[in-house]
Amino acid sequence: MIKTVKFSLPIAFLLLFTSTSVNLFADPKANQKTATESITAVSSDSYMGLTGEELWSNNCLRCHNIRPGTMYGNAQWDVIVHHMRLRANITGQEQRAIVEFLKSSK
Amino acid sequence: MLVMKKELDALKKEREAGPRQEHTERAAVAETHEVAPPQGQAAADTHKQVATEVTPPVVEAEGSLLGTTKFLLAGWAEGTYEQRNGQVSTFSASLNPLFLWELTPKILFDGRLEIEPSGGGTNVNLVNAQISYLFNDYVAFGVGEFFSPSNVFVERFEPQWINKLPDRPIGVYHDVLPNISVGAQVRGGFPIGPTRVDYAFYVSNGPTLNTFDARTAGTLDFNSYTDNNDDKAIGGRVGFLPIPGVEVGYGFETSKPGFQGTTFADLRALVQSVDLEITRNSDLLKGRVNLFAQYAWAKVDHAVYDPDGSLGFGPLPLTAKRDGGYAQIAYRPTKLDNDFLRNLELVFRWDHLSADPSGFGDPSETRWTIGLDYWLSPSTAIKAAYEWDKPNGERNRNTLFFQTAIGF
Repeated sequence: MIKTVKFSLPIAFLLLFTSTSVNLFADPKANQKTATESITAVSSDSYMGLTGEELWSNNCLRCHNIRPGTMYGNAQWDVIVHHMRLRANITGQEQRAIVEFLKSSK
Repeated sequence: MLVMKKELDALKKEREAGPRQEHTERAAVAETHEVAPPQGQAAADTHKQVATEVTPPVVEAEGSLLGTTKFLLAGWAEGTYEQRNGQVSTFSASLNPLFLWELTPKILFDGRLEIEPSGGGTNVNLVNAQISYLFNDYVAFGVGEFFSPSNVFVERFEPQWINKLPDRPIGVYHDVLPNISVGAQVRGGFPIGPTRVDYAFYVSNGPTLNTFDARTAGTLDFNSYTDNNDDKAIGGRVGFLPIPGVEVGYGFETSKPGFQGTTFADLRALVQSVDLEITRNSDLLKGRVNLFAQYAWAKVDHAVYDPDGSLGFGPLPLTAKRDGGYAQIAYRPTKLDNDFLRNLELVFRWDHLSADPSGFGDPSETRWTIGLDYWLSPSTAIKAAYEWDKPNGERNRNTLFFQTAIGF
């Protein structure tokens, strides 16, 4: 039983990865539209062709559920994104774009 | 009587003059903050402008009273029920406050405690205490006690409101990889075309080699935060993000873990780790899929433990090797219309840890865990999980978990 699961697990991972990556090499910007369609506010800042909203979604969702801009005050977001920049190794430009988006999304 | 009348008149005059003086002072304050007023403006307009510009100095004054530094109390808390086969069932809880203090936009202090009830008292551990400096957009320095960058799980997924299962994978916690390091680090990220690379390198006190006990001989103790020799561990991790939502990484740490002045002093230990993180939204599956996987290897140079037999288990010649890791997949139907179903998340994890290298300690252990989470908010979850756990040669330690975790 265990042996069967051991062999089937990598195959299951491969199938899931393939199914979720059918447009793996498409424009990342287009890919992320679906992830953030419920968010209406749009940041004016951008980085690598991605808006602050897309950077927020891409980077934060890698580890945990994303928290909306209304959850914290502006000064609090400054501190949180500063901390997350260090933890997730995002660039300074990404940090600024994400902070601007979060502040403007309220 | 005449004197009293004169005093009364003086008070009346003072009272009449008061508001005018106050108005003049306010106008003066406003004018000092006025930036290049337009030339030839009518008196009425000036009055209007002064009236509207009285507020900003007050706001500015409040801002300066609050200071320029920013402090935030964040963190997480959890309560867990655990029913393990062969042991008494138990509740447990912990509070993990995270103190964030941004002294300037470039300088941040982050410190975290772990507070949990234990026996008749309360355990308080310092988990993190680091001062960081943002050198530029791509480089940051940090000094203090920090989560070890070579172990991506503890850096990113360890808080229980982020970890999707109630317990943590054994393979990346027990003597295979460091969790917390005391030292200095440099880290950051930079783009390469449409892709991105992130990195973190550090120097730290490093682990201690266990040599006195037959069960643990040859294993690395990463929980000894003070150094036992002049050698410093060097480690790091490099991650590559080919597309958003996909990252592969390689972490390592090399050190001399033996006590200075002993026959183990020149032994070298190397731990390595590979990891993969995929987060994808799928129209086909009507939801989001997370795949996290990490595998690590630890190796200590060949040595003879208890060479004269004085400890009762030697001589034990050994090239100590240990490995472990996990793979976890989670699915949340975020694209369904039903609110209840959309908040559910199904999690499945395999994790493994090889036996203690001496052959006298714990056997290898492989666990399979299935869990179901319900998200009350983006950072509040109720989790239920069942874990199949049967170490080689031992009775099963299957476990039922319930947990509530909140991130704040």
